[in-house]
Amino acid sequence: MDSPLDGTTFAVTTRALAKRFGRQTALDALDLQVPKGAVYVLAGANGAGKSTLLRVLLNLVRPDAGGVEVLGLDPCRSGAQVRARIGYVPEGPESGCGWMPVGRFLAHHAVYFPTWDPDYAARLSRALEIRPERRLSHLSKGQARRVQLVTALAHRPPLLLLDEPTDGLDPVARDEVLGLLSEHLADTGCTVVVSTHLVHEVERIADHLGVLRAGRLVAQTSRDRLAAMLRTYRAEGPDGWVGPPDLSGVLQRRGHGREIQWTVWGDEREVVERIVRSGGTVRDVARLPLDEAVLTLLRSKDLP
Amino acid sequence: MNVVINPAEARPIYLQIMDEVRRALVVGTLTSEDPLPSVRHLAGELRVNPNTVAQAYRELEREGVVYVRRGQGTFIADRGSVDLDRGILARGVAERALLDAHRHGIGVDDLLGAIRRAAGSQGDSMRTETE
Repeated sequence: MDSPLDGTTFAVTTRALAKRFGRQTALDALDLQVPKGAVYVLAGANGAGKSTLLRVLLNLVRPDAGGVEVLGLDPCRSGAQVRARIGYVPEGPESGCGWMPVGRFLAHHAVYFPTWDPDYAARLSRALEIRPERRLSHLSKGQARRVQLVTALAHRPPLLLLDEPTDGLDPVARDEVLGLLSEHLADTGCTVVVSTHLVHEVERIADHLGVLRAGRLVAQTSRDRLAAMLRTYRAEGPDGWVGPPDLSGVLQRRGHGREIQWTVWGDEREVVERIVRSGGTVRDVARLPLDEAVLTLLRSKDLP
Repeated sequence: MNVVINPAEARPIYLQIMDEVRRALVVGTLTSEDPLPSVRHLAGELRVNPNTVAQAYRELEREGVVYVRRGQGTFIADRGSVDLDRGILARGVAERALLDAHRHGIGVDDLLGAIRRAAGSQGDSMRTETE
């Protein structure tokens, strides 16, 4: 739906990426473009392919077809180098380290990353109220999430891949994590890809959006372009009025008597002009909050 | 200055931050040569993308409301009076009220009349602002 801006450099791109698990299509003809320095929210239902996509970028899953470039490298050839430059919060808990106390796990993690900053790790651990003496296997989902966030951030990687980072966190911890992420972004200017099915939780920091449906990227755009192009229009007209016949880019149409509401991807002036020309009075033109925009894009059958 | 934003509002967050700085000038909680919070600090406090705060500060600098002292931060510029900022805020309030009125099928005259009547019945607490 969107072409990249000229001169944009990308931290992550995929080209015609495809992955199947048996007969199940996980990713299909996927062209992901994450600009350098962006906070790219990957939205979609559970099972849409978000986690698989992130795992392909880390070369934890091998794609069946297509090209992948992460920070200028091909993860299939340079998996270890790519992973060393990524902070990753996986979907589920770490397996195999359950017996380790948290402090030991962090120390174990640190040796893999030359840029690990022990002071920063300690500061993050304090802010997230992590107790180093607890065993990993005894942690709740939310506590394990906090430890994973420390391991992802403490080496200040140029790329963060966060798979449902707020999953399992209580509201206070979620708020704390968002604050830490904002500061981390200000300090590092790193690129972030954050997958979530709860878009409103990351709405404040997101500046790019990709919408995944059944393994396909049905929309990919900057927030600015989304705000400019996707709007709802509410208008009323004379008896029997059905609106303009030539309205393109309609994602949703709702009618109540002589009042009709459209959600349209298009130029506002042109849309309003067409509604007025067909005899309607436009009452309201509104932007959509990010989560509603995602819902609309996920539901619409024909995308512009 | 205490910056409050509402992400659910349709207005972009950077515009809301700009208005909050202007509001602080108009009500007098910020005055010339006062420092603004750092981009990092305000982004962390509001839990927003630091680029959004930086964009607000950039726009305010372009409009001459603030200036940047290299290595020290962003400061309120001395422009003599805050009339201009009050005018810009008032215009924003008016535009939002007009849009809301139009949405409800209310014309400009009806809106103005209703504002005067509402202000009259609210008494002195709100009127002192303008006198």
